[in-house]
Amino acid sequence: MAELNSNALTRPELVCPAGTPAALKSAVDAGADCVYVGFRDETNARNFPGLNFSRKELEEGIAYAHERGAKVLVAINTFPRAGRPELWHQAVDDAARLKADSVILADIGLIAYASAKHPELRLHLSVQAAASNVESIRFYAERFGVRRVVLPRVLTVQEIAALNPQIRPVETEVFVFGGLCVMAEGRCALSSYATGQSPNMNGVCSPAAHVRYVDTASGVTSQLAGFTINQFGHGEPAGYPTLCKGRFVANGKTSYLFEEPTSLNTLAMLPDLIKAGVTAFKIEGRQRGRAYVAAVVQAFRAGVDAVLAGRPLPDMDLDQITEGGRQTTGAYERAWR
Amino acid sequence: MTPPFSPVLLLGLALKPFRPSVLQPVFDAMLRVVRKRHPDILERMEPFQDKVVCIDPVDLPFVLLLEPNAAEPRLTVRRTVDPDESHANIRGPLETLIALAEGKVDGDALFFSRQLVIEGDTEVVVALRNAIDGAGIDLVADLTSVLGPFANPARRVADATLEAVSHLRENVETLRQALIAPAVQGAAARDARLAELEAEVKALRKANRRGHA
Repeated sequence: MAELNSNALTRPELVCPAGTPAALKSAVDAGADCVYVGFRDETNARNFPGLNFSRKELEEGIAYAHERGAKVLVAINTFPRAGRPELWHQAVDDAARLKADSVILADIGLIAYASAKHPELRLHLSVQAAASNVESIRFYAERFGVRRVVLPRVLTVQEIAALNPQIRPVETEVFVFGGLCVMAEGRCALSSYATGQSPNMNGVCSPAAHVRYVDTASGVTSQLAGFTINQFGHGEPAGYPTLCKGRFVANGKTSYLFEEPTSLNTLAMLPDLIKAGVTAFKIEGRQRGRAYVAAVVQAFRAGVDAVLAGRPLPDMDLDQITEGGRQTTGAYERAWR
Repeated sequence: MTPPFSPVLLLGLALKPFRPSVLQPVFDAMLRVVRKRHPDILERMEPFQDKVVCIDPVDLPFVLLLEPNAAEPRLTVRRTVDPDESHANIRGPLETLIALAEGKVDGDALFFSRQLVIEGDTEVVVALRNAIDGAGIDLVADLTSVLGPFANPARRVADATLEAVSHLRENVETLRQALIAPAVQGAAARDARLAELEAEVKALRKANRRGHA
């Protein structure tokens, strides 16, 4: 752990996911500073069946959070369909009307719309925009007044520490826990290739309607749009049914070609990330249940508070809720190099 | 899925001689209460009104058929279900299914660890999971809420029952450990012997390679 003077540290915000009103309450009650949510349509990157907020639920959720000193951020982070931006414009207008604390946007045209129509609305740049260098971030800040950028999960802690002073007063938000993508955020076409639907345009990666699990004598087979993408033996930990986490045969060997099912967990790295000048820590998982939300938020609340108080990091076991039962520090350390 | 050795499994064996329809009034009442206290579940399930989901508590001798039709939802208890009668199946131990319904465990985590089996239309299963998780169900509070002045005493009875079940679970676990102890000891001995043999084979291969060099 890096040596830290806890008096000199800025308290980072803990930004937590909520796919339902119950999850929002769980996040706030567990100590979230901010909760990010989406509308019940394809304007957000977790457009899953049975998930997300109606306008009324968002209004009630914002009231619940604000009464307890927490903020609500609305993710409108898919890319509007060419010539049909109305649904996305309406989402921005409704988030502003309902007094959301900020909107998280990815599409440059939608950012331009929000900036012009709601100059008082705080804008955050979604990870889906994949802005990872000084020039790109400065452009969004100078042209549209973007206040915070969610960094793609491709940078090391050292790179983030070097980036922060160069882009101030723009804030950075980094993922600290949850599912990982193949580091081509906003540009991945794997789901679209197999199913015709993608997280970028439709808000859903490997849509459940295209997923099938088939019990076999040797375990279970997962299929996406008819493609067999993985087979798990009896008792073997499973992962999400996405192509990037499929096991394929190449050169006669069966392996995970893109990435293994594993969850990001940076709990042990919190001191380094705080020292790197990161403003906000983001927990992935709006598609997860409120038990996940409560467990992860409690762990990271305790972790951040411990670092700021100069105490050792608490030993929090999150193995049970990780994908594939495994954890990684991802690109922050690039342990594979 | 093999059911775990638990108090529920013992209860299931005791229930086996009875016709499942005997329990139908209980599930009708449960559905009425949940529908009244959590109307948002059926609202979230609106795109899936014509689907039928089979919920299979693997440690009980019956299954439940859920039809999430907003106007006339049904939860039917049956001994078995033919594959073409349901669009999707969710299988798991009763206690896991209840914990999932009450949001005490995460559905993805259960799936990752293979404690839950999903078959058929994954979309309707995901929708149902999200709808139920989002409703904030508390089965004891929900079911006792309809008892008016008897709600508080009923809650106390329910709490006492759950505590008794918890003790029973501990006893059943002790029994399970005692039953499998000989098998576990045998497996440990075989593992040790296997490790010895592997070491021997490794040493022989090494010696063989040296001989050829």
